Amino acid sequence: MIRTRTLTLTLLLTTAFGLISCRGGSESGRLTVAMMPKNKGNPYFASCRVGAEEAARELGVKLLWDGPTETDPAKQNEVVESWITRGVNVIAVSVENKEAISTVLRKARAKDIKVLTWDADAEPDARDFFVNQATPRGIAETLLDHTSRLLGGKGTFAIITGSLTAANQNEWIRQIRQVMAERYPNIRLVDIRPSDDDRQRAFEETQTLLKVHPEIKVVMAIASPAVPGAAEAVKQSGRTDVRVTGLGLPNAARPYLKDGVLDSAVLWNTKDLGYLTIYAARALAAHAVKPGDASLTAGRLGTVKIAGDNIILGVPFTFTKANVDQFDF
Amino acid sequence: MIARITHERVLVGVLLLELVLFGAIGSNFLTVGNAAEIVRASAEIGLLSLALTPVIVTGGIDLSVGSLLGLCAVVLGVVWRDADLPMGAAAVTAVAIGIAGGGVNAWLIARGIPPLIVTLGTYSLFRGLAEGITGGVRNYSNFPHAFLWLGQGDIAGVPSQALVVAAATIGFWLLLHRMAIGRALRAIGFAPEGARYAGLGVTRSVGLVYLLSGAAAGVASLLYVSRLGQAKADAGTGFELMAITAVVLGGTSIFGGRGTIAGTLLGVAILGILQTGVRLADLPAELAGVLTAVLLILALGTNKLFEDTGERLDA
Repeated sequence: MIRTRTLTLTLLLTTAFGLISCRGGSESGRLTVAMMPKNKGNPYFASCRVGAEEAARELGVKLLWDGPTETDPAKQNEVVESWITRGVNVIAVSVENKEAISTVLRKARAKDIKVLTWDADAEPDARDFFVNQATPRGIAETLLDHTSRLLGGKGTFAIITGSLTAANQNEWIRQIRQVMAERYPNIRLVDIRPSDDDRQRAFEETQTLLKVHPEIKVVMAIASPAVPGAAEAVKQSGRTDVRVTGLGLPNAARPYLKDGVLDSAVLWNTKDLGYLTIYAARALAAHAVKPGDASLTAGRLGTVKIAGDNIILGVPFTFTKANVDQFDF
Repeated sequence: MIARITHERVLVGVLLLELVLFGAIGSNFLTVGNAAEIVRASAEIGLLSLALTPVIVTGGIDLSVGSLLGLCAVVLGVVWRDADLPMGAAAVTAVAIGIAGGGVNAWLIARGIPPLIVTLGTYSLFRGLAEGITGGVRNYSNFPHAFLWLGQGDIAGVPSQALVVAAATIGFWLLLHRMAIGRALRAIGFAPEGARYAGLGVTRSVGLVYLLSGAAAGVASLLYVSRLGQAKADAGTGFELMAITAVVLGGTSIFGGRGTIAGTLLGVAILGILQTGVRLADLPAELAGVLTAVLLILALGTNKLFEDTGERLDA
């Protein structure tokens, strides 16, 4: 008896809950931008958040920052669902699962919420713009600038890559070859060796490289675990005429940058990425930007290029001995 | 009749409190749309929790359901895309894999291995198989619209998965509260040896609840994949603990013998509302975890105070 009554009561409650409705509408007043990292606990994203908050202060935008703290792939979707319910003005997501998130982002667009992706993209029809942190071409140019500077415009270098099949790295290598052909006729790439995204493997491969090709003066490590691995190998070899450059995260690079073995670590400025995302969100909400536009003005970043439906952060950022202490990720 | 403080009444109180609180401080919380979203987000955990209630009533546990959901999701993708069979066949296969997984648990538990150990093992096994099949990275998507309707569609505003959960609720309610086997399950939970000597088919009854738990994981995988539109090996990570939390919050004794379907449903609702409410009220999402702990202790503590007025064996 009691149990049946409780069950009825539950059902009644659920119905009532559904019927007390229609406070509807969006959050009043300020523009609300909801921004999601892939993972809230990752220092990389914490650094992006700093820039996003800076831009939000400048623009008087209300910034909601939320995302998964665990590995459950459904979490990003649930957070977006709750933002749709809240009625935020713009949603900006760094996408973990392209297919899954696209479903719910399309739903947000259908409800007239502006959608951006940043850092990692969803399916193109699920968002208005992708805030793209770096193009492969831009990365290749910056890496070769450093290499050429270290070689004095003439000489040989070798690459430590991720795995030999990694799509990202192979695209970068393709662009590196192209930029070399166009601009650096006196620089020669003699070898490409895999690290399988493992620091120890990068260490061993770099040791081998230095023995097989004693003439190389620059090791370019283009996977982030490979940077400290390659730097350690060069350091232990005692070859003061060989320097390392590459793509990497500042915390892993810091000790080698300070040693001088590692000349530079190229990535993008994570703070600027967060900053630009908020400026893009604001412009989108104000209908001040549409696909096909050539550029966007973004506060202290000045004029930022737009390519199709990609808003490009610009030239990659280089961590050096001088600036690495400003970053913590 | 004297009003008694039962655990369910405490839960209804908690639920009302949540509605009032989040209704006051959350944006667009008390809306039909939000109610539908909460139902959608809670449906898979709801199914797993319903099936887990009789398991825990027998004094057992099933830690493998989240992993099994992942395996079923992956199998669904493989059968549909790689084997190029119709979606219906893939769905049936996924549920069959769920039942088979539950069968593995049931068979091992019938051999006298404690459920905690068996399902801890299959927890790793099922997830491992799912990762092995997909290499951990393969992701199935672009499912047919008719299938996605199950997770994203509605009938006159009622989310489609609500119907599945309603059907499962009725089924498990009949099983636990209206059929002879329900009484047997409680008896087993209180005293398995006693139940055996009383001539109850202990092995068969216990086997059945693990089979049903596996079947629920299979059906939940369909809801999950159709809601998210993707099937990947990490589907349902951590769902087993959320389901156990809901069941225990619902008043089912972790030592067995006691538990109700209504309580479990209330537990699922309270946790689902909490998660969404915290987000809509602009509170840090981590608070949901802390509040879950507070609720669990509060609800069960209150229950303890009035223990002798609570559940009875002949419920």
